[in-house]
Amino acid sequence: MRLPINLLALTLSILPSTLAVFADEAYSIDYHNELLGLPQPHTTFFHRPQSEEKATLLYTLSDLGVLGAVHPGTGKVVWRQLLDGEGYLRAVEGEGTVVSGTGKSVQAWDAMNGREQWGNSFAGVVKDVEVMETVAAGEGAKDILALFEEEGKAVLRRLKGASGDVKWEYHDPTEDLPLQVSTNVKDVFVVSLHGARGGYNIKVSTLDPLTGKKVNEYTLTAKADVHAPEDVLLVGANSAAPIIAWADKTIKNLKVNLLGKSGSLQTLPLKESDGDIVKVTIHAPELVQSLPHFLVHTHSAVSNRADVYHIDLASGNINKEYELPKLAGKGAVSTSSQDANVYFTRTTQDEVLIVSSASHGILGRWPVKVDKQHGSFVHGVAEVVKKGADSYAVRSAILTSEEDWVMVRNGAEAWTRVEGLSGAVAAEWAEIPESESLAKTLEAEAHSNPLSAYIHRCKRHINDLQYLPGYIQELPFRILSSVLSSDVTSHKPGALVRDNFGFNKLVIVATQRGRVYGLDSGSQGAVVWTLKAFDIPAGKQWDVKGIWVDSSTGVATIRGADGEYVLVQTLTGKVNEKMEPGNWPQVQSAAVVDSPSGPWILPIGLNGNPGDIPSEWAPKDNLVVQGKDGEVKGLKFAVQGSLAVPITAWTFQPATGQKIVNVISRPAHDPVASIGRVLPDRTVMYKYLSPNLVLVTAVSDSAATATFYLLDSVSGAVLYSTTHEGVDTTQPITSAISENWFVYSLWSDILPTTSGLPASKGYQIVVSELYESDVPNDRGPLGANVNSSSLEPSDVANAEPALPHVISQTYLVPESISHMSVTQTGQGITVRQLLCTLTSSDSIIGIPRTILNPSRPVGRDPTPAEAEEGLFRYQPVIEFDPKMILTHKREVIGVKDVIATPALLESTSLVFAYGIDVFGTRVAPSAAFDILGKSFNKMSLVATVAALGVGVAVLGPMVRKKQINGRWQTA
Amino acid sequence: MAPPPPPPQWVIDLNSPPAAKKASGIPDPPGFTSTGSKKQQGSSKTAVRAPLTADEMDTLKLKKAWEVALAPVKQLPMTAIMMYMSGNSLQIFSIMMVGMAFKNPIMGLMATNQAFEKLESEGTKGKITMVKAVYVAMQLLALALGIWKVNGMGLLPTTRSDWLAWETARDPLEIAVPAF
Repeated sequence: MRLPINLLALTLSILPSTLAVFADEAYSIDYHNELLGLPQPHTTFFHRPQSEEKATLLYTLSDLGVLGAVHPGTGKVVWRQLLDGEGYLRAVEGEGTVVSGTGKSVQAWDAMNGREQWGNSFAGVVKDVEVMETVAAGEGAKDILALFEEEGKAVLRRLKGASGDVKWEYHDPTEDLPLQVSTNVKDVFVVSLHGARGGYNIKVSTLDPLTGKKVNEYTLTAKADVHAPEDVLLVGANSAAPIIAWADKTIKNLKVNLLGKSGSLQTLPLKESDGDIVKVTIHAPELVQSLPHFLVHTHSAVSNRADVYHIDLASGNINKEYELPKLAGKGAVSTSSQDANVYFTRTTQDEVLIVSSASHGILGRWPVKVDKQHGSFVHGVAEVVKKGADSYAVRSAILTSEEDWVMVRNGAEAWTRVEGLSGAVAAEWAEIPESESLAKTLEAEAHSNPLSAYIHRCKRHINDLQYLPGYIQELPFRILSSVLSSDVTSHKPGALVRDNFGFNKLVIVATQRGRVYGLDSGSQGAVVWTLKAFDIPAGKQWDVKGIWVDSSTGVATIRGADGEYVLVQTLTGKVNEKMEPGNWPQVQSAAVVDSPSGPWILPIGLNGNPGDIPSEWAPKDNLVVQGKDGEVKGLKFAVQGSLAVPITAWTFQPATGQKIVNVISRPAHDPVASIGRVLPDRTVMYKYLSPNLVLVTAVSDSAATATFYLLDSVSGAVLYSTTHEGVDTTQPITSAISENWFVYSLWSDILPTTSGLPASKGYQIVVSELYESDVPNDRGPLGANVNSSSLEPSDVANAEPALPHVISQTYLVPESISHMSVTQTGQGITVRQLLCTLTSSDSIIGIPRTILNPSRPVGRDPTPAEAEEGLFRYQPVIEFDPKMILTHKREVIGVKDVIATPALLESTSLVFAYGIDVFGTRVAPSAAFDILGKSFNKMSLVATVAALGVGVAVLGPMVRKKQINGRWQTA
Repeated sequence: MAPPPPPPQWVIDLNSPPAAKKASGIPDPPGFTSTGSKKQQGSSKTAVRAPLTADEMDTLKLKKAWEVALAPVKQLPMTAIMMYMSGNSLQIFSIMMVGMAFKNPIMGLMATNQAFEKLESEGTKGKITMVKAVYVAMQLLALALGIWKVNGMGLLPTTRSDWLAWETARDPLEIAVPAF
């Protein structure tokens, strides 16, 4: 009976440690920046999600169309929703609801948990959303006013607050540009711009809020001053006295109209202090019960100042009450209201001030202690809390010029969100440059003769001896920390050094706003440096065509579509060289080529024409480009004198009716460990390994087909092609190619014409492997040749190219895959993983290649010999096991691309995903076979060795004594 | 002083046991050995044995030599069964089996001359060569069994896949850089 109990105890003691294998690595080796995008001034506010509680959340609808709630205390995202593009966001005061208007739809969201309460879509485009305030409280949910532009005309709809159904509609008969909707409880005002672009008059229509009938209409003459919708500064929202204002052409005066009062157009002079005024903003409360006060904030090039005005509701007069003095630098002003009181918070580089709108007395003043690297403050929202009779507290979430979102609480920095990192359009891995002097010395040693190199090395080592005492001093700490801390990559923060495993690498990220970031993958993706490479105008995106990192110099070259480029030092983010957009011809794509003068990144102009290149910079190899209509072309460079001229070697056009949607090639780093696959009977299928493989995806929308062509990119020969019918071409069709296999995914339907083989409807992954011959132990038509040429496949003239033998298999997957890429390791020994981006579950999954093996036995169990080679029975459906999800429970939204790079460890590949969010992790597709895991208990190993040592030390003398005694006593 | 009393009867009987009455019909009890008859038997046997002639000696030696030569093959069925039973997987038992299967024949082959050293003489010299050859053949047979076993375990590089690591991919003569 004793043994089973012992066994049970032993089992129980083993169990927890085995279960803990997965949990401890998750969330420590991977990192995720939950980003929102840049918060917009008119769609960012504090709001109470539960009206009976005082706690507020910070809501924003960003420039990327991400609606999110942020906890103001911690800066963590509470919930997020990805909507279609920029739009409008309003909070329903006194209710736990926020209403968004984006694209064609208006949606109401539960402010606490981000669940959609209702959504309604219409034909037009949303131009503004406003909450219809009611006179008496408690009439149920407040209604929503939504302004649309339908076929160039304004349409205003009042939507029921509980369901989103339309209560009434107002159609403006004229073709005026709808601008904004306002309400002051009694009336609803629709503001539109009358006229053509370049000179607008402002038309205000007054509607009856109950019926939606037009009551009144008047036009304000502003043709000389208002050229575009952006020129109208503010149409005060839901205040007791909504106003409309614009600055005159020279920004000397501000013209203000109280909505509903057709006659009153007042001119307020703008005071100049330091030269011309460059920017004017108006801040007014957005609550009905607030006092009708507003603040005019003017910026000159070097300073900013503000004036506060009061509106006399009875007479409609606007009077200047007081002014805030000029302060140097840029500043942000924000409004917050508490009951009827209105507070203005002014944040400049040096201090935070709060004033009441009623009088100029300063209610609170704090010095600003914010990290200077965030830049100057651009705009923000503030929340003022009256703590006692005379004590106030303020917190403001401010967007800075370096595109960080900083929470300033009573002058101190509470948290920072690096929102500028959102909206990444391109990224590339970079090695951390080795310290330059050492690299140079090593190179010098490699080139000199062995004896002098040896002497030099000895001298260097003797010189290095001066660091020995410090090293020895540090040694116990290093040993201790390596035993105690379980994380293998822990290194000093701030120090950017290579580690022994190659986990510390830099990621160069370029965003659509023209900003470049350097991230350190070894310390949870921390931002190492950032810089504004180019000023991208609003509404445009930086179209990055290629990033090339020259690891020998540690310089990254980033090329954009308008011919602009910037050379950045990867370690520091310093700009070496820069070319502004527009100076050079347009760029369609860019490729790293090797030339007689060394490697460089070659820009390919429009229609796939790289243009003439000086012959010393001409690429040594051929090029594959896409032409005008997407056709694939092979280019060759012919040297003519001092120039190299591109010559089209071949052109590939798909069948008529098809258009090319995607062209991919093998990754630049794609090592192959074994050139054959061993079959269960120990024969070998030789892999078709060509670096010049290009997989072209062509779809036909009318025929609902997708065709995949595998081309040899030197000769242009079609090596293999396959067509899928019944394909939904609007769904994502993605593909990846590596080693001797390619894989693609699409959505396919059952066709009535297909008979025989069972078909299936849904998302599919098709994987194909290429072999040199269909006969085992045969190297195909090329036989034992050491070289292969695509142009002259054999000695026979005009011989056909050696076609691969293709084995394919189809698997059904539960979700659509929007992007595919393949892990990379140093030697390619580790089995690859297919990294798939799943849009509907906002995650990234790593599917092992062993599952996607097309040779899995179909309809029978594998023989023992097959099982030895890792084959298991074919199952048509690949279930997305949660253990394969690399992002775990995180939601990574808007992923555009996933890039992988090898670590120094063969088992490990570094993965980085970007888009709206940024996510990075390490994957070990064949398990981490060359490194001790975190679960390895170094402490117990050391303790065991120490215990054994103690045991030997104690027992040794005892045994020796016993042996001596034994000899003496028997004799 | 009075003379000592005579010893009791049992002491006298013990000191001078009565002579064995050899009754012809009754066998001795098991374990009883009568000293007298044993001596007679031993002396008669040594007398019968006569020294062997050289020829007889050689015949005997040759016989012995054949026994030695055929000894390895007698173990073979047993070894074969054990090898079959131990399976083709790499385990400590099968590895030990294989180790023994190679060690024994090789040691035997190396010790061929020692094995027949005592049995070799002037008379048997010609015939013992033949025996030695058989001995070697038998050892090779045992070795073959070991090789068969190793082959069954898949340790012999006889298939194409075993040489795959030394084969190299073809070098492409042209390279096209993708730029799309």
